[in-house]
Amino acid sequence: MTEAGDVLAQLEERKSRLVLKVGKHDLAVTNLDKALWPGTSRATPITKRDLLRYMTRVSPWLLPHLAGRPLFVTRYPDGVTGKSFYQKHWVDPPAYARNISIYSSHNDGDGDYLICENLATLLWLSQMAGLELHPWFSRIDAGPDVRGRSRKFSGSEATLDKSVLNFPDFVVFDLDPYEYSGRENKGEEPELHRRAFKRTRELALRLRELLAGLGLETFVKTSGRTGLHLYLPILRKFDYDAARGIAETIGRYALQKWPDDVTLEWSVERRTGKIFFDYNQNSRGKSLASIFSPRRHVLGTVSMPVDWDRLEEIYPTDFTLRTVPDLLEDRGDPWAEILSTKQDLAVMLEERTA
Amino acid sequence: MPRAIWSGSISFGMVTIPVKLFGATESKDIRFNLLHATCGSKLQQKRWCPTDEVEVPWNETARGYEFSKGQYVVLTEEDFEQLPLPSKHTIELNAFVEEQEIDPVFYEKSYYLEPAERAEKPYALLLRALEEKKLSATASITIRKKEQLCVLRAHNGTIMLETLFYPDEVRQEPGVDLDKVKVSERELDMAYTLIELLKKPFDASEYRDNYREALAQVIEAKLEGKQVVSAPPTRDTGVIDLAEALKRSVEAAKKGGKPKTPARARPRPARRRTRKVG
Repeated sequence: MTEAGDVLAQLEERKSRLVLKVGKHDLAVTNLDKALWPGTSRATPITKRDLLRYMTRVSPWLLPHLAGRPLFVTRYPDGVTGKSFYQKHWVDPPAYARNISIYSSHNDGDGDYLICENLATLLWLSQMAGLELHPWFSRIDAGPDVRGRSRKFSGSEATLDKSVLNFPDFVVFDLDPYEYSGRENKGEEPELHRRAFKRTRELALRLRELLAGLGLETFVKTSGRTGLHLYLPILRKFDYDAARGIAETIGRYALQKWPDDVTLEWSVERRTGKIFFDYNQNSRGKSLASIFSPRRHVLGTVSMPVDWDRLEEIYPTDFTLRTVPDLLEDRGDPWAEILSTKQDLAVMLEERTA
Repeated sequence: MPRAIWSGSISFGMVTIPVKLFGATESKDIRFNLLHATCGSKLQQKRWCPTDEVEVPWNETARGYEFSKGQYVVLTEEDFEQLPLPSKHTIELNAFVEEQEIDPVFYEKSYYLEPAERAEKPYALLLRALEEKKLSATASITIRKKEQLCVLRAHNGTIMLETLFYPDEVRQEPGVDLDKVKVSERELDMAYTLIELLKKPFDASEYRDNYREALAQVIEAKLEGKQVVSAPPTRDTGVIDLAEALKRSVEAAKKGGKPKTPARARPRPARRRTRKVG
């Protein structure tokens, strides 16, 4: 039996606490029948046991996307309707969780960061109601594209600047519709609704075509909330500042081309009625929710990679903790190629400019 | 290559053929924008409530079905979400018919079906069988959440998919009574002669949209003569070449032209941060 299959079998035992054997590690899990998603009139609650099952089933597809990347986690100890907190540093993580010391300008010193490389770590995070997984866009691994760059991350900002962790694998665009459904309380972010999502989808398709015109392939996923995330995989030749510059330039171009749909405005009032093109996540220490990461939404939606030619048929609530494992097992991962797709932006720009 | 509008598979007995669907036709009508004649600005549409005399934002709109004059049933997003959805990704062949059996009035829109990767063999098999038997296959397909009746037929070495109207979408013939109209042999002979005279094979390339061509010429002439109306500039519309702009941004970053950590230095509404977290 596979490690995942073995864990799923153990979770069948209807006790509210268990000691899971995950490979050779023991992991105590508690409050298994606690509802982390309250459910709706049409959907039953999703419990911590369901979360553990979900993570176990998607782990073969998820873990490769987390490997080598410092991970931040949003924890919801009282479920998605309760308080949450964003955790970057961990005190005394278990032995199977990889820990790495990285300089943090925020702390003005080194801090311990987590890297999730195995099922045990993933389930340990689930046990702590760490629902949302935010991996960095850069990773600690060596490779031909970062030959000669250091893998020393601690000590000072300058050391970290020169290291491989300052060179992301992706340029990312976060498309967030700011059309309100009318059901929001004052001051709240817009809720998911069809018209706004349709516009976002159309903008994503136009951006894809724009980048395809430069010979670049992009990947798309639902954010799991209201918008879409576009990832442009690149060779690690540009640092975060350059990646953000690239994303900003594309954003400004999109704004010029489609001023009725795109906004780069900081003020929420001025974003209203348009799709916010957020290029600012292209910064070291920032991140978007990983593919397959659950998000804060009552239906248990997750961020789901989508084939471009299916984008027009999908809606974010199609993808939940309940539906995604079966979809993955049936159709495979639409992002299976992203980690091996390495586009050389430097060469492309040389070729495309006189 | 245009973008496939749908991908899925044809299900034919024990055989499944992964395919992609492409629109076979496109309208070439010249489109116009509505401008304000006095200043040349492109007009915007606004939703106006005649009762409250206010412009209505999208979030205050609802979708109503008019069941009798001025009376509506309102459907919410939830109502739409609850509708059952048929299978999304299969074209289920259910019968084979002769093409002449389908009256052209049923044809709605034409698509090309292309085999997906490594599906050429079963695709060729079905195509060949349709050609040899001179038959078309009726099927159903769901495009953009709407289930449609369709027919698959062989055409110039490709399988075409034609969506069909449902019978209740085709209006009844007006049913004019022509029985009492008398037509003489001589009149009929004249009609036959005229028909014989104009009889020839159909060649689509002989026909053009004369109206569109004439319209294009008028536009062309106006452009030549610089009779051009431009909207007053509302924002910077200078055209930039994207690749050039990207290169400049990369070079600026290399030179350290940008602040080292602009994200932190920039003003940022606090709410943005909490949203990313949640």
